[in-house]
Amino acid sequence: MSETKTKQQGAVQTTGHAWDGDIQEFNNPLPRWWLWSFYATVVFSVLYWVIYPAWPVGKGYTTGWFNDITYTVNGEERSRHWNTRSLLIKDMQEGKEALLTQEYMQKVEAADYQQILADPDMMTFVRSVTKGLFGDNCAACHGAGGAGVIGLFPNLADDDWLWGGSVEDIQNTIALGRNGYMPAFARTLNEEQLDDVSLYVLSLSGHEVPADKLMRGKQLFTGEAGGCYYCHTAQGTGLKSQGAANLTDNIWTIADVPSQAELAGKAAVVKEVIRNGVNRVMPAWENRLDENQIKLLTVYVHELGGGQ
Amino acid sequence: MDTASTYNYKVVRQFSIMTIVWGIVGMSVGVLIAAQLMWPALNFDIPWLTYSRLRPLHTNAVIFAFGGSALFATSYYVVQRTCQARLFSNGLAAFTFWGWQLVILSAAITLPLGITTSKEYAELEWPIDILITLVWVAYAVVFFGTIMKRRTKHIYVANWFYGAFILTVAVLHLVNSAALPVSAMKSYSAYPGAIDAMVQWWYGHNAVGFFLTAGFLGMMYYFIPKQANRPVYSYRLSVVHFWALISTYMWAGPHHLHYTALPDWAQSLGMVFSLILLAPSWGGMINGMMTLSGAWHKLRTDPILKFLIVSLSFYGMSTFEGPMMAIKTVNALSHYTDWTIGHVHSGALGWVALVSIGSMYFLIPRLFGREQMYSVKLIDVHFWVSTIGVVLYIAAMWIAGVMQGLMWRAVNDDGTLTYSFVESLERMYPFYFVRFLGGAIFLSGMLIMAYNVYKTIAGQRPAVAAIPQTA
Repeated sequence: MSETKTKQQGAVQTTGHAWDGDIQEFNNPLPRWWLWSFYATVVFSVLYWVIYPAWPVGKGYTTGWFNDITYTVNGEERSRHWNTRSLLIKDMQEGKEALLTQEYMQKVEAADYQQILADPDMMTFVRSVTKGLFGDNCAACHGAGGAGVIGLFPNLADDDWLWGGSVEDIQNTIALGRNGYMPAFARTLNEEQLDDVSLYVLSLSGHEVPADKLMRGKQLFTGEAGGCYYCHTAQGTGLKSQGAANLTDNIWTIADVPSQAELAGKAAVVKEVIRNGVNRVMPAWENRLDENQIKLLTVYVHELGGGQ
Repeated sequence: MDTASTYNYKVVRQFSIMTIVWGIVGMSVGVLIAAQLMWPALNFDIPWLTYSRLRPLHTNAVIFAFGGSALFATSYYVVQRTCQARLFSNGLAAFTFWGWQLVILSAAITLPLGITTSKEYAELEWPIDILITLVWVAYAVVFFGTIMKRRTKHIYVANWFYGAFILTVAVLHLVNSAALPVSAMKSYSAYPGAIDAMVQWWYGHNAVGFFLTAGFLGMMYYFIPKQANRPVYSYRLSVVHFWALISTYMWAGPHHLHYTALPDWAQSLGMVFSLILLAPSWGGMINGMMTLSGAWHKLRTDPILKFLIVSLSFYGMSTFEGPMMAIKTVNALSHYTDWTIGHVHSGALGWVALVSIGSMYFLIPRLFGREQMYSVKLIDVHFWVSTIGVVLYIAAMWIAGVMQGLMWRAVNDDGTLTYSFVESLERMYPFYFVRFLGGAIFLSGMLIMAYNVYKTIAGQRPAVAAIPQTA
């Protein structure tokens, strides 16, 4: 090899043709290592064709030999030539991960919510299997950790529940979805009234606000002019059946009050919500996820927010 | 001017200039969408600027506008020079230029509007497909017509590759684009389900094989021996690897559909033919690289040769990587990850773009009657800028892709998946940034080139080259 290398450029003849004035071609032999690697891939391929399905023949194909897959269907043993479908069935029946998951999954399926919540072993499984489920279906809005986005998507990781935090409530929320609706008061209340109600709402969660405005706001909130108490109750503690927020706990899901340092700023963001209302939808998942998946998510979300 | 006794450089000039223009346009769109993956707000909430619509615009612009123009320019140049004959028809050649620009323009309008067949690299709707067909037939007539009237006895190897590229792309385009139009801008594929997928990837892979490989090998076979001023290493190797390449590539498409509804036998064939393809692909690299033996020192001083030889290294690397990724076990890790994107760009930026850029630096001065480019120093700067850009890009995508593959398959002790999809996405941010950076650096190289080309041709009269008369 090294011998030919030193000599070849001088010794090897060109083909004798020239193009565009000066392009010529040597006629060096094919590099051996190149030729042998070519042959090697061909040999590998032929062996592969013997073992795996490969060539179409008429309406069928060569199925491959010495490579059958044996698995059981309904207690009956079956043997098929190598194919990915049987491979999947076999893997789902015998694979280590599949068996482990299956065992736990059956346990979870058979148990009710109270049993799952009381069993640390099952809860560990629920946490790890549902993390992916939550990530693939819920995280796009609520975030991978469930923290949500203020103004848009509720935080699932705190212990404040708009629609109820019991497992039954959470299951309903996931399965049937929710329509979070609060009417817009832009036409019902004038600017001054909106200011007053906003300040009153802030006072409910312990903010210091001017007494006169507070009184006027309270009248609007608890009277027929504003009618806020229908959903938020006269005390402002909210109504889970309506998804109406508890306004006394200083937890904000739509108005970004914590981002404002001054009272005026806080009142302004609350006022915007009252002026424009709220209209947000959580889709129903009952047709996209099966019963057990909803069950898993229910337990997961329940734990995420320290459910009730 | 006696046109019969000169080469048709006009169409070569037009395509050469557009190669650079479309290169900059296509790569800019690429950099924008890379940035959108980092900062989604960069779609400005304008539908025409969303990632999903700009991505096909990027691929079409770089493959067919940039790569296509480079192939038209060089094939028209090479076929004339090596056949010692003027192009078969000036009119048809001009038609291919204006027709191809119209195709590109139509793509640039319809794709952002969301008009698409949704077939990858074949997104253009049926009226544009018909225009492509007409242009392509004219291209074939001009090219093979010129071969027919050649004054040399033998057909030079570069022309085999160009010829194979033109013929095969015609077949691919016609078969894959077969569709039933339902309105002026909407059609449905003629094929059902898995067959449609198979036809699409038979097309898709051979678009890589014949458009992006065979065509550019034709380029390599002319410009490397020319620039190095050395004979091609082995005629025998060129014959063997040519036939092996074109007969094997056709079969490799199903590796794009591993682990899908495609029948197992088709997947097996796709995998093994991809493996067999390794040696034939490398034949071109060996022939190009070895052409330099005895003249390696030229690499130190000649930046054009650097472009051409380094492009071959990337070609060798991606044609090794490709067969590896086609192995089903590897594919189970790599498929649907950014590794694939990295692989494509090591071919597209490393091979296709670098070999085109090198060839353009060779061509431009000759087409405009200059001794050499305005600044050889700037060619060298461009070379290093692009090389750094490519390496950043593909290294980022390799790491990102392998990380995605590993995260998606990671399982806990109880058999459950360790990560959700978004978690893998979150980890991608640093790599998406490096990818954006690599792309932006590569693009800046193209701007250096544009400046250099402008300074070279400004004020120059187009060159007229007489056809040497055979004794």
